[in-house]
Amino acid sequence: MLNHFEITFKSIIRDRIFHGIIFSALIFLLIPSVATLSMRQATELSMTLSLSLISFILLLLSLFLGGTHLWRDIERRYTYPVLSWPSSRSAYLVGKFSGIAAFIFLVALLLGGVAVLTVLITAGIYPPERPIVWNLFFLSIFFDACKYILIVAFAFLFSSVATSFFLPVFGSICIYFVGNASQQVHDYINAPATIGISSITKNMATFVYYILPNFSAFDFKINAVYRVPIQVSGVLMTGVYFVVYLCMVISVATLLFEKREMN
Amino acid sequence: MKALEIHNLVKIFKTKKGQSVHALNDLSFDVMQGEVFGFLGPNGAGKSTTIKTLVGLITPSSGNALINGVPVSTGTARLKVGYLPENPAFYDYLTPEEYLTYVARSFLVPVAEVPRCIEQTLKLLELWDARKRQMRSFSKGMVQRVGLAQVLVHDPDIYILDEPMSGLDPLGRSLVKNIILELKNRGKTVFFSTHITDDVEKVCDRVGIIVKGSLVAVNNVENLLKGGVEGYLVSLQSADSTLQNLAPFSVLRQSGTIFEYYIPKDGFNRFMELVIRSGSEVVLVETRRKNLEDYFLSLVK
Ligand SMILES: Nc1ncnc2c1ncn2[C@@H]1O[C@H](COP(=O)(O)OP(=O)(O)OP(=O)(O)O)[C@@H](O)[C@H]1O
Ligand SMILES: [Mg+2]
Repeated sequence: MLNHFEITFKSIIRDRIFHGIIFSALIFLLIPSVATLSMRQATELSMTLSLSLISFILLLLSLFLGGTHLWRDIERRYTYPVLSWPSSRSAYLVGKFSGIAAFIFLVALLLGGVAVLTVLITAGIYPPERPIVWNLFFLSIFFDACKYILIVAFAFLFSSVATSFFLPVFGSICIYFVGNASQQVHDYINAPATIGISSITKNMATFVYYILPNFSAFDFKINAVYRVPIQVSGVLMTGVYFVVYLCMVISVATLLFEKREMN
Repeated sequence: MKALEIHNLVKIFKTKKGQSVHALNDLSFDVMQGEVFGFLGPNGAGKSTTIKTLVGLITPSSGNALINGVPVSTGTARLKVGYLPENPAFYDYLTPEEYLTYVARSFLVPVAEVPRCIEQTLKLLELWDARKRQMRSFSKGMVQRVGLAQVLVHDPDIYILDEPMSGLDPLGRSLVKNIILELKNRGKTVFFSTHITDDVEKVCDRVGIIVKGSLVAVNNVENLLKGGVEGYLVSLQSADSTLQNLAPFSVLRQSGTIFEYYIPKDGFNRFMELVIRSGSEVVLVETRRKNLEDYFLSLVK
C-alpha cells in the first residue's frame, strides 16, 4: 500500500496540469494590493480572499486528481500488471487515495503558509482593530482540505465503476454543489415557516440529507475571518463526521473495485 | 506437481448492447511444474481471456483456475507469478528503474537485493542505458522489454506471458527464446500465448491449441514433430543415362548434373534400392515434415 502511495505521489508531482494549478497560486501575490485598496477592514478582506483562493485551488486539485487518477490508470491499462500483483485491489485503491489525500493536505499547508504571509503584509500596511486568531485561520484551512478530500473519495467511488472520465469528473462536481446546498435545503424544509410539504416528503428529504455529504459542516471561514470562537465539541463533531463519512465512501469504492472486471 | 490448473472455464462477456460473447467454452487443461507450455490460437480465440482469468483480472462465468493449488481469486496465489500483459503499458512518467523498484517491492523482494535484481534484468534486456529515461519516450519494442523486465525482476517460479515476442525485432525475439530456455533449465514454469508456431517449435515442451474458446488439442511438441515426417528431398549426382533406372520417380528440379527428387515417406526404401543399382551418388537427403504450422492450420480449419 505504501508503495502505491509513493508512486501516486510521484505521478502527481510530474503532472503538467498540476503544475498549471500550482501556478495559479501566484494570484496570491495580488491579494495584498487588492485588499489594501479597500482601506477599511483590509485584513479581513485579505483573509477572506486568501481562504477563498485556497478553497478554489483545492477544488480544482481535488476534481482533477480524484477524477482522473484512478480512471486514467484503468483507461491506459496501467492496472493490468499492477492488479495482477499479490497486493489486493483494495490496497491499491486505498494507497492511491491516501497519496492524493496526503498531497491535498500538503498543498493546503503550503498555501496556508503563503496565505499567512499575505495576511501579515496586509496587516502590516493597515493594522486590524482586533488581533488575528491564527488558530481559527488554520482550522478553517484544515477543514476545507477535509472537504475536498471527501470530494476525492467520491471521485474514486465513481471511478471504481466508470468507463469514462465523465462520471468521475462531473459526478464529483455534482457532489460539490449538492454538498454545499444540502444544509440549506434541509433547513428550509424543516423550518417552521415552511408549509405545504407533506411529512413523507419531509422524511424522504431528511433521509437523503443524511446520505448526502454536508459540506456546510466544514465551513469555518466566517469564524476565521471575524474571530468568532468555535466550540470544541463542534470541531470534534466535524472531525468524527469526516472520518466516518470518508470510511464509508472508500469502503463502498473498494467493494465495487474488487468486483470490477479489468478488460 | 501441477503449476497451473484450469477447470471447465466458461467466460461470457456482455457487451454494452446486451449481446453476449462466449469467449471461453468449458476450457480445461493443466500446466506442469518446470514445463514450457505454448498456448496457440488464432485471433479472438480466447487466449488473453484465459490468461486474464489466471491472473485474477477477470472472474470466470463458471469453472475455476488454480495456481500451485491455490484458487486464483486469492491474491497471494500470485506471489510467485510473473505476468506480462498483451501490449503492455506502464506508468509513462516513471523511469524503468523506478518502475522495477515499485514491482520488486510489491513482490516483497528483500530491500537489499532490489538494486542488484534491477541491474541484472535491465542489462539482460538491454535497457540499462535507458534506465533513467521516462518511459513516455520509449518505442514499442522498448516497452515490451520493460514488460519482460518487470516479469523477471522478482524471479518468480511461474511465468504467464501474453505474446511475449510481439513487437520485438529478430534480436529481441531470439533473446526472449533464450530467456525462456534458460528459465526452463532453472526449473521454472513458463506458460505463454503466441500466434507464431515457430516460437513454439523452438522452445515448448507442450502445446495447447485453442479455437473459439475451446481447447482442440494438447500435444507434446517433440512427438508432433517426430510424427510429422512426410517424405524426403534427395539430391543425386549422376549422368542423364542412369536416370532411366529411376523412372517411376520424377525429377523435381535439375541444375547441371544434380537432380533433385521428392520421395514420399513410404517410397524411400524402394527409391534408394534403385539409386544404388543405378550407381548415382547421393549428395543430400533432407527430411520433409509436416510442421507445427501445418498441424495448426489443419486444426483451425
Ligand atoms: N470486454 C469484452 N467484451 C466483449 N467481448 C470480449 C471482451 N474481451 C474479449 N472479448 C471477446 O472474447 C473473445 C476472445 O478474446 P481474446 O482477447 O481472449 O482473444 P485472443 O485469443 O487473445 O486474441 P488475439 O490473438 O487477437 O490476442 C473475442 O471474441 C473477443 O471479441
Ligand atoms: Mg490476445
